[in-house]
Amino acid sequence: MGRSSKDKRDIYYRLAKEEGWRARSAFKLLQLDEEFNLFKGVRRAVDLCAAPGSWSQVLSRKLRGEEQEKEQEKEQEKEQAKIVAVDLQAMAPLPGVTQIQGDITKTSTAQEIIKHFEGQPADLVVCDGAPDVTGLHDVDEYIQAQLLLAALNITTHVLKYGGTFVAKIFRGKDVTLLYSQLRIFFGEVTCAKPRSSRNSSIEAFVVCQRYAPPEGYVPNMSNPLLDHCYDVDFNQLEGPNRVIVPFLACGDLSAFDSDRTYPLQLDPSKEYKYTPPTQPPIRPPYEQACRLRKSNLLANENSPSLPLDEGFSSLHLSANQDADVRPPAGTAEDGGKLDDK
Amino acid sequence: MESVLIVTPVTALEFLGEDYLLAGDGPVLSVYNLKTSPTTSALLSVLQNFRIHGIRPHQQQGDKAEHTSVAKKEEEEPQGLSWQQRAHLVVFGGKAVRLVELKMGELPSLQPLGPLIQLRDWVLDVHWLDVRGDLLGVTLAHNATLLLDVQKGSTLALCSCEDGCLLYSALLVGPCWKSLVVVGGTIFNQLVLWRPGEGTEKEGGRNMVGRVERRLLGHSGVIFSLAYLPKPGWLASASDDRSVRVWDVGALGGEAGCGAPSPTCLRVLYGHQARVFSVKLSSAGAFSAGEDGVCLAWDWDSGKVTRALRGHRAGGVRALAVSLGGAGGGGYVATGGTDGGIRLWSLKEEDSGLEDAGVLRDLGFEGVGCPKVVRVTGGRGLRQRGVVITTDQGEVYSWEEQRGWQLLWKGGAGFCSYNVMEVLEWWSGDEMCAVGSLSGEVWLFPLSQPSAGIRLKAGTGKIHSVLWVHPTGGRGGYLLASGAEGVVYRWQIDTELVGGAVVLNTEPLGPFILPPCAKRWLTTAVLISRPEGALWVCGDRRGSLLLYRDKAEEAKADGALQPMSVLFGVHGKQGVTCVCEHAGLIYSTGRDGCVRVSRLDASALEVLRVQRACRGMEWLERIMVLDPEVNPVEGEHGERHAGEVRLILGFHSVYFVVWDLVRQERLLSVPCGGGHRSWSYWLPQSPGADGAGTVVFVKHGAVMASRAPEETFHQQGGWELKEGIHGRGVTCVCHLGAVRVARQHWEILATGGEDTTLTVLTIDPRSRALRVLALITDHISSIRALAVVRRPGAREANDTKPLLSVLLFSAGGRAQLQCYRLLIGANGQLGLPSCQVIQVASHRLDEQWERRRNRHKTVKMDPETRYMSLAVVSDGTEGVLLAAACSDGALRLFSLTETSGRFQLLWETFYHQRCVLSVATYLLKDPQGCQRLFLFSAATDGVIAVWDTNTVRNLENGPSSDTCWKDPPSPCLTFPAHQSGVNTLAVWEGHWDDQGLSQAGGHWMTVASGGDDGQLSAVCIQVQFHSKEVEGSGLTLNLYARSVEPLAHSAPLTALIPLGPRLLISASPDQRISLWDRRGSSLRHQGVLFSHVADIAGLTAWQGEERQTWVAVCGQGLQLLRLEAEGDGK
Repeated sequence: MGRSSKDKRDIYYRLAKEEGWRARSAFKLLQLDEEFNLFKGVRRAVDLCAAPGSWSQVLSRKLRGEEQEKEQEKEQEKEQAKIVAVDLQAMAPLPGVTQIQGDITKTSTAQEIIKHFEGQPADLVVCDGAPDVTGLHDVDEYIQAQLLLAALNITTHVLKYGGTFVAKIFRGKDVTLLYSQLRIFFGEVTCAKPRSSRNSSIEAFVVCQRYAPPEGYVPNMSNPLLDHCYDVDFNQLEGPNRVIVPFLACGDLSAFDSDRTYPLQLDPSKEYKYTPPTQPPIRPPYEQACRLRKSNLLANENSPSLPLDEGFSSLHLSANQDADVRPPAGTAEDGGKLDDK
Repeated sequence: MESVLIVTPVTALEFLGEDYLLAGDGPVLSVYNLKTSPTTSALLSVLQNFRIHGIRPHQQQGDKAEHTSVAKKEEEEPQGLSWQQRAHLVVFGGKAVRLVELKMGELPSLQPLGPLIQLRDWVLDVHWLDVRGDLLGVTLAHNATLLLDVQKGSTLALCSCEDGCLLYSALLVGPCWKSLVVVGGTIFNQLVLWRPGEGTEKEGGRNMVGRVERRLLGHSGVIFSLAYLPKPGWLASASDDRSVRVWDVGALGGEAGCGAPSPTCLRVLYGHQARVFSVKLSSAGAFSAGEDGVCLAWDWDSGKVTRALRGHRAGGVRALAVSLGGAGGGGYVATGGTDGGIRLWSLKEEDSGLEDAGVLRDLGFEGVGCPKVVRVTGGRGLRQRGVVITTDQGEVYSWEEQRGWQLLWKGGAGFCSYNVMEVLEWWSGDEMCAVGSLSGEVWLFPLSQPSAGIRLKAGTGKIHSVLWVHPTGGRGGYLLASGAEGVVYRWQIDTELVGGAVVLNTEPLGPFILPPCAKRWLTTAVLISRPEGALWVCGDRRGSLLLYRDKAEEAKADGALQPMSVLFGVHGKQGVTCVCEHAGLIYSTGRDGCVRVSRLDASALEVLRVQRACRGMEWLERIMVLDPEVNPVEGEHGERHAGEVRLILGFHSVYFVVWDLVRQERLLSVPCGGGHRSWSYWLPQSPGADGAGTVVFVKHGAVMASRAPEETFHQQGGWELKEGIHGRGVTCVCHLGAVRVARQHWEILATGGEDTTLTVLTIDPRSRALRVLALITDHISSIRALAVVRRPGAREANDTKPLLSVLLFSAGGRAQLQCYRLLIGANGQLGLPSCQVIQVASHRLDEQWERRRNRHKTVKMDPETRYMSLAVVSDGTEGVLLAAACSDGALRLFSLTETSGRFQLLWETFYHQRCVLSVATYLLKDPQGCQRLFLFSAATDGVIAVWDTNTVRNLENGPSSDTCWKDPPSPCLTFPAHQSGVNTLAVWEGHWDDQGLSQAGGHWMTVASGGDDGQLSAVCIQVQFHSKEVEGSGLTLNLYARSVEPLAHSAPLTALIPLGPRLLISASPDQRISLWDRRGSSLRHQGVLFSHVADIAGLTAWQGEERQTWVAVCGQGLQLLRLEAEGDGK
């Protein structure tokens, strides 16, 4: 298996590299837009959990136009749509996107967003964030739900009435509880699956339109928005009262198929050339461990773990080097992580 | 519907003293009594729809606690058991907490105390707060802690942390609510310490908020697990960053509050190859386990790994528990895997010898010259174990622990610089030694009386090898000496005692002639007695397997024997290393890294299965069958794969390795310097002595022995309390049949997984026992589809008839297709079914590419095709027709005849131009009585295509000839059924109970499909046959009545199966299994069951005995369900 095998197995991974997207997930937002016209009339958009920034890239290209020169010519800042990207991590800058490095569970972050919009609420909030998965489905689904609810909570602070909220969900055992909760805040909730998202993956997106919080609802960040529970007798667990929202597949059928494996030579006239990833992952948690493994410094029965003081500090990356987005020196795992953020 | 058996990742383990182990597997709490043999256990489903993530027994501390407990129990149940035999447990997971009582004893039992307590948020840790057993501290995922009265199920107090971020893990320390300390591992990679009892009122008294008192930074990933050891006040954290950190936090809880004001990080332990899921601290040290499947034991002082416990398949260790150890130290470690298995490891003898398990012992050869060949003696008997060697001076020395080195025999000049030797354990308790020279001389002598030796002549050239063959059951032995030019001289040897002296009787037999080749000598031989005469199965240096028959008349005439059957070079150019017989089959190993299983017919050998023993291990030396009667490997803890444990000995780079072929794990690894050396091996003598056996070898002129670690056999791979199946997702499941063994009813299933293994397993529904019968590791990528033909092979009529014989097809990634004949029989010794695997055929689309020599230099342009689904059509004759849905957009048809052992690609169509996800077939008889085969295929665009194979088949050329398949035409019918991918198809005969349809006439079939959109849809198709005159296919298909359930599931519908005349069963990753009534005029929902198998990918269902219906689902685990009887399901 060479470096090109992923290009064959995942056409959107390859296309993302070739078109300069930071992650293949850019196509998902583009295809959601094809179906729902998400960007129509949007002047202010927020991208939550934005890193590495592919959705911000889409917002930037779609809301502000492709050519930057045109933008400079016009010099009409007021006419331009405003985009705010929020993430804990820093990411490489994007034209026309304001970055806020902050926590989406903090009121201060919401205030900062509103400040960038000069007091105006946002028209669109998107969130493609996914947690560090544990591999245990119940835990991962729960944490993903909490991330979505945290995103919903900050959205209630910044979204205008009638606005749209798009977020990633895992279609797992308790997804119906999330649906029922989103229904409280939005006039219309649809479960959408862009064709660039694999058929085999439980990932999907909720497109929540017509924001209309319950009467008297006061946005509050001091308490987390908890997810719903099944009723006491568990009638909803196996019963017919489960809330299942309509499903909509998005994207043109003539587009590439994310499940299909393609030959490397897609177009007979154009020879295949390997394209390196647009942006390697920014400092993954396992970076230090990989570095140690490469230098054969992991502890085993024969050699101890490195003592804390000597030798270690030279390898250790301080936790405060936040501004440093330099890609790591090509660890073996780098290639595999572009997939989704 | 009732759940019979469930195997899911083990997510919680806890010891209760040294005698009981508690485990959580899905919602099921199990208890194992470790002191009974065999282990007894009980189980109880306690958490409804939640998975158990923790178990906390109520610790009865001090005498006061015991007295109160005693008093209370006696009131309740005067004649009942005393307090010692009961324990209260709190079990938690998800958003639920439940109190359970454990009754200890020979047969432990579990009983829920009160209902399930549901909380608003996810529970991360639970801690008993008082001695009476009423109050619990409970930490929730949003960093809040509550005081819970577990008897009443009411919340008495709630306090949130000011840092309200999400936690991945939490730990509660302290004796009471007032002084309770919470340690939280946050989503931001930090550890925060705070006290809920010290919270202050905020927001007008509505909320209690606690202040963060300590914050520990350093991890660069989220924290999965926490552990605290009060003495000396250390806290350990395990993280996504693959490290474990140990912090000096001092005393926590009680008077001490949050401990040391500025805690320091004592150690950062990097040793895992992947994420660390669990950490535990005990006085013996720190233990950590993770995604790499290894549990590491760390030494406090040096930061060294003292032991690496490896026993779980891919997917890693999820749960870890360490017992405190009794008075004599020791104790246990228990590990629970993603594979659903539980293993127990003893920590006894921890200080002696475990640290240097890999250290070698030099036996200190004291004689003259340089050791050449080494052999062990006393291998199996009760005699003292020893070693014999030959030297380059032509001498033989022996060594025993007590007596040291002794010169036994001098061979003289002829045996200098070159000699070969073999030793056989003699029936008299003695040991017989044979030494061969460069000039055709063979000396034969008993080790006890070297002077009684005799000289034999085996030609005049170099003796390449001497071999002993022991006749099963007989006394004496056969000596084979492989001389020059492929002549193998043979003698039958026996001894008698004459006046205290051993007298050797030799009788020459006709020599074997080896097939001509460059390296023409014998490397191994085994004698098989058959009624028609003795058969010899031999292996030679050229890699050939040879079969000879002793012909009495020819032997008398001293006639040389030519092989009856030759499998030339099957084991590759590096040679065969070992052949042996077990249960009627011949096993052979070679330096090609393969184990071959062969069948011996009257006149020929036939290879049934080739198995690569261990990836990367290219040099196999020997295969050993551990006969349970000769080698009682069962420890005090009972059952193992007795009689089935096949040890593989071989070299893996510079290591000598003992590998367990059944469990696919390494038992012993000795750094000997690699192959090309003389070695010999002692089997484990008894469970107590030296678990994995001992290897003796020659290295740099020294005789070395691996120092046997002081462990018992089962501790090497851990004592397996519960067998795991697949380490990662199970993608497909298939029911093969049911058999009766030892008056028990066993269901036989096959599963394929993302871990690339194919497992044949058996379930006894009554005892809920699951056993893996065979593990097939031929796939190089994830397996995605299985198909079965339940038909015995043509040959089995002659053989001893198996209980069940099926043809199993598996397909998956890298366009790999495999076919096996599985013979299910009975293992008499164990009272279990057994499974023999015969490889019938194997196929890959890119075989051409794999054979190219320069492939590493070029880029492979073909797509990496995956097979997504398989459907089989057994057309009644010898051949089998197989349809495969392929990810490169093709639908392919293969044929296979079992006798030819080859798949043939007959036909392919790229009609869909998208990833084809599912395929189904349907056979119909037309008015002429001819069979018409319809194929159904569906892709990611939601379109279903129907193919009439008669239009692509040219019947004049015969049905199974590969030339008869024409170019693909277009499908005879296509219709959109779903918005996106169609994951599953089911086809049956007939239509809805609809008057209109009945009147329309013609043949009817109904196609149901399940899609990624969660929709279940079904359509009726009318098939109308036309008379011959009409051109074309002679039939038309019409779509009729459609039934659609758009929201059948809240997640993709991944599996669908019709059962009996009325039921349709669907399953989805939303973890619901739904029943649909397919009579009437549309599909009607009949019932639903929540399943604890996450990410459900496959489903199978069958009618069993007594009108019982069985359903098995697979995903992140496996579950077997029973539908009581036809008509049930409400």
